[in-house]
Amino acid sequence: MEVKILSAKFDIKDAHKIEVAKEHGAYSTLDKLFSMTSAEVIEEVKSSGLRGRGGAGFPTGVKWSFLPKDTGKPVYLAVNSDESEPATFKDRYILVKDPHMMIEGIIICSYAIGSHDTYIYIRGEYTTQFKALQAAIEEAYEAGYLGDTVAGNNFKLNVTVHRGAGAYICGEETALLESIEGKKGQPRSKPPFPAVAGLYGCPTIINNVQTIASLPFILNSGADAYKAYGTEKSSGTHLFGISGHVEKPGMYELPLGLPLLEVIEKVAGGVLNGRKLKGIIPGGSSTPVLLPDEAKTVTLDYESMAAHKTMFGSGGIVVLDETVDIVELVKNLIDFYHHESCGQCTPCREGLGWMLKIVKKILSGKGKMDDVDLLRELCDNIEMKTVCVLSAACTMPVRSYLDKFRHEFEAYVTTEDFSAAEAKEE
Amino acid sequence: MAEKIKLFVNGVEVEVEAKKNLIDAISAVGIEIPHLCYHPALGADGNCRMCLVGIEDGRPPLVPACKTPAREGMKVLLDAEHIKKIQHDVMELELINHPIDCPVCDQAGECKLQDYYMSYDQKESRMTVPQVTKGKKLDFGSGVIHDQERCVVCGRCVRFCRQITKTGELGAINRSDDTRINIFPGRPLNNRYALNVVDLCPVGAMTSSDFRFKQRVWFLKKAPGICHGCAKGCNITIDHNRQKYEDDIIYRFRPLLNKQVNGYFICDEGRLSYKQENDGRLIEARLSTQPRSIDEILTASTKEIDRAEKIVISLSPNCSLEQMITIKALSEKLGATLTGYSEGYIKQDDGDDFLIQDDKSANRAGLQLLEIDNSRDTFTGAIREADLLINFNNNLLLSFAEKEISKLLKGTKVITVTSHDTPFTTMADMAIPVASFSEYAGTVVNSDNILQSFGKAITKNIDLDDISGIAARLGSPLQTPGERFAALQQIISALNGFEPDNIPAEGLKLKESEAANVTA
Repeated sequence: MEVKILSAKFDIKDAHKIEVAKEHGAYSTLDKLFSMTSAEVIEEVKSSGLRGRGGAGFPTGVKWSFLPKDTGKPVYLAVNSDESEPATFKDRYILVKDPHMMIEGIIICSYAIGSHDTYIYIRGEYTTQFKALQAAIEEAYEAGYLGDTVAGNNFKLNVTVHRGAGAYICGEETALLESIEGKKGQPRSKPPFPAVAGLYGCPTIINNVQTIASLPFILNSGADAYKAYGTEKSSGTHLFGISGHVEKPGMYELPLGLPLLEVIEKVAGGVLNGRKLKGIIPGGSSTPVLLPDEAKTVTLDYESMAAHKTMFGSGGIVVLDETVDIVELVKNLIDFYHHESCGQCTPCREGLGWMLKIVKKILSGKGKMDDVDLLRELCDNIEMKTVCVLSAACTMPVRSYLDKFRHEFEAYVTTEDFSAAEAKEE
Repeated sequence: MAEKIKLFVNGVEVEVEAKKNLIDAISAVGIEIPHLCYHPALGADGNCRMCLVGIEDGRPPLVPACKTPAREGMKVLLDAEHIKKIQHDVMELELINHPIDCPVCDQAGECKLQDYYMSYDQKESRMTVPQVTKGKKLDFGSGVIHDQERCVVCGRCVRFCRQITKTGELGAINRSDDTRINIFPGRPLNNRYALNVVDLCPVGAMTSSDFRFKQRVWFLKKAPGICHGCAKGCNITIDHNRQKYEDDIIYRFRPLLNKQVNGYFICDEGRLSYKQENDGRLIEARLSTQPRSIDEILTASTKEIDRAEKIVISLSPNCSLEQMITIKALSEKLGATLTGYSEGYIKQDDGDDFLIQDDKSANRAGLQLLEIDNSRDTFTGAIREADLLINFNNNLLLSFAEKEISKLLKGTKVITVTSHDTPFTTMADMAIPVASFSEYAGTVVNSDNILQSFGKAITKNIDLDDISGIAARLGSPLQTPGERFAALQQIISALNGFEPDNIPAEGLKLKESEAANVTA
């Protein structure tokens, strides 16, 4: 089931070094690239059906074509390497094992959108990835693939790595831009969208690492070769990080559209120790959970996930076996999103903290049925009332756990009245 | 005229100004969209989420009104159930960690949380878990006290310091429900407009150390006025109250919107100048240092005037146009030398490019309009020969050292007509108390040549006459307010067609030629 498109060089020793990477085809698309017009490149990417691999799955070529023409302002490319969604660990493989594939992708994208400055935004704690990436960029400058004349062509391109300070929200594209600008990472209201007014108020394209890294293959082998993988609407391959209760957790490159349970069984070796499956988080912690029954008909593509009222997300699949306490899981989940809320919008700022306290109260055995209902209601009250979707990234999965595992919450609930005892304690 | 467009609010067609955001456009026709973070002077931020409105057939169907320009044909939903629910939900979330300490909060009575709770919420609290605790009574400097627990993190104060004063002392630190407004360690608010954050704060998070705990706001009567702290003529609201058995006291000045003059703000110095209206006042007439009745001193003054051979009349650049013209008429009748010399009111290089002016007087432009001499030479030359000085509220000790003025005034009788008991008052032979600017109606012209009128805001227990009244009693031919206004109309053509009480609130912009167009 596994394929080797993005991960082609992952098993090659020292493929992060430019000479090894070049032996295995790195930068070989550039001659073809510079023989094409930028419009042709965009068209090729559009027809490949490549979709944003950050989680939202927006068609990449279409995103590029939103750039306004002739504004007189520079166009920026920002590569989102903040990879902070819990259970997601795909981009790190690219950065550590094959950074030149991404740099080549940056050249392709920059040429297509007419940008001469790229900022790679990388989460501050990712020192391993940062070192590998920075070394590769220096090699690329040295070799003439970056700088004033990219690969000897009349095309200038500078790449700057910007290290964040470790905030989940800085993976949101406008918070990422704020952070690059030196401000507190808080999402901006849209419109205007970054394609119109992004970094320093200039037209900006923000793409995920994996999206950018997919470009060399598409350009080299053509859109049709890419579309040969995956489904009609979800074409190509994806790096899936499979974790949780499976025999063989790890990162696997798969074409889109494979049956979820089959992948867990055949690729990840099935549920750990032969235990019973309780649920599957399909694409990172913010995607609604799937019950085993629902999972039977799910395939790993954007459409199937949407049809099952969840999301493809970042490809970070988490398998939950029967030992998982869903209420503890939900506490852990809310704790994360509460901690990472930028604190800007009222519903997210105040609401996630309230939800966390309620679930802690339930766990402590002092919760009432009303608290479970309130938790469920707050999901609706908070969701989509904010500038960005961080609050929804919390409420959507929490709602799914409450709806699908309500009995587990109810098991914690008490009918005892603690208020009198508490009053005494005080 | 601004371009008008038609849109629908709750299905009713209304005509509003184009290009404005929905909050401003729709509020102009009397429909409120609740909001905490948006302020017209600071722009839209979009963080409070109180102004979310529905747009029928809109994409997206739910938008923050502060960030959404009014467009032709737009169908705005405010009273739909799902919008009312959002307003309630946001209010609930604003309040879960709010201390709800209204009984001891200065903002009570003018608090947006209170108002919106009554309008959009009115539900019982469902908060059964511990609240977030944060810093209380933090001294932010410049007389600003901050309560982080009451704060709704709307960021108006932060934006004010970044966009308006460009000093950037405040920031929102931390994340999540731990987000709070703070200063940098050891770097308090340090700008001359800092107290505006107290007005800007929609809740009780920012309070003024000067005002807090002095008065519940619902006891305060509000009257419009003009600050006399400098030549800008900022519009103010005079908040005052007469407690039982007490005098009418001013508790604070707040900025009053005048887009042509001061916008939404005033400086701290002007704001705190209310104290001078309450304190240090002269309320009794005096013969030297002995209290006498006003009538007695007026009679004595008239005798001095009759006796005097050479009279100098000096007046303050704070006098209203009405007072100036009454004094001018008196001066002409007595054949006196009239001088508005008051150099000491000007503090060189004290002003800035925002509101604060070098000139700390309210109506120097009026002196020029009425062609009143204000040179030092005229003043000193005339004083040397004069045997009587009648001084109308001009604090000469600002322009002269005490020794210098004593020497100049040697052998000259001094009658001072004054609102305040200054050291100069004690130097005078006779002193007559008069009303200060919050206690009379008048007209002044600011440094931008904008003529503004103001009414009588305060009525003291001892309701003193103003300078015009005293000048009239000393013999000025302009005996009534009507006569004075008519005399001003002769000089200032912009006043034609107006009465004292219908001068536009934003003031009359005098043409450059008008200012120079002194009576031929």
